[in-house]
Amino acid sequence: MIKVRIPTPLRPMTGGKNEVEIAGNSVAEIIDNLSSAHPGIKERICDEQGEVRRFINIYVNEEDIRFLTGKETLLKDGDEMSIIPAIAGGR
Amino acid sequence: MFHIPSGILQDMIAHARELAPHECCGILSGKNQSVAETYRITNILANMSDGDLSRFEGAKLSDLQRLSPEERADIAFQMDAREMAMAQRDIRSKELNLIGFYHSHTFSPARPSQTDITIAMEFEGYRQKLNLPEPLHLIVSLEHTDKPDIRAYRIQDSQATEVQIQEISE
Ligand SMILES: [Zn+2]
Repeated sequence: MIKVRIPTPLRPMTGGKNEVEIAGNSVAEIIDNLSSAHPGIKERICDEQGEVRRFINIYVNEEDIRFLTGKETLLKDGDEMSIIPAIAGGR
Repeated sequence: MFHIPSGILQDMIAHARELAPHECCGILSGKNQSVAETYRITNILANMSDGDLSRFEGAKLSDLQRLSPEERADIAFQMDAREMAMAQRDIRSKELNLIGFYHSHTFSPARPSQTDITIAMEFEGYRQKLNLPEPLHLIVSLEHTDKPDIRAYRIQDSQATEVQIQEISE
């Protein structure tokens, strides 16, 4: 199982949990399985083309998946995946 | 006390002016308490779908929903995540640290808004897990067009505390 860290804006979809345990071998598979457990969450993470939305970074352990092999990045038991919105703010 | 070369302060002001009335945003890198470089990051807010706006909360979200996409960028910013990741990688490759984030307030003072504080606290939770250093939050205010104001803050426990910055002439 992979520990997936859920960002604040998506926690209403995981019943308020900031971490969930999800099975899967790759980032793509984990996003799909996460969405089976918490319907609708994939649409919030990925756009219509299936690409990760422009304001979200996904990390496996401490590395951004862009510098690994993107959504095909493989994970093993004990790895952690973090879904992190880039910094924002306002006036 | 943080040291920022005057060229970098000027560059942040120029960035804010170029994008006004939209808010600009960017990243500062450096070593210890000295800023070495800036990275201009695209404010993608005007290109975000209505669904993506739920990344914001409460009053800010309802304000954003009332505005046209173009107007939204006047009152808020969202960094492009890819550019942010590329900047962080570049910073690492130069053996520097991420020192902070900056953004502009085109019509209001250089003080963190409730949204700035909420999102900074959200980021605090993530960055500790990712072993990133605590960032400084800088705001460039263009409220008084002929007298731009830059101030820096630490944001901890939902409180913003101003940190003095010292301009270093080059
Ligand atoms: Zn702000």
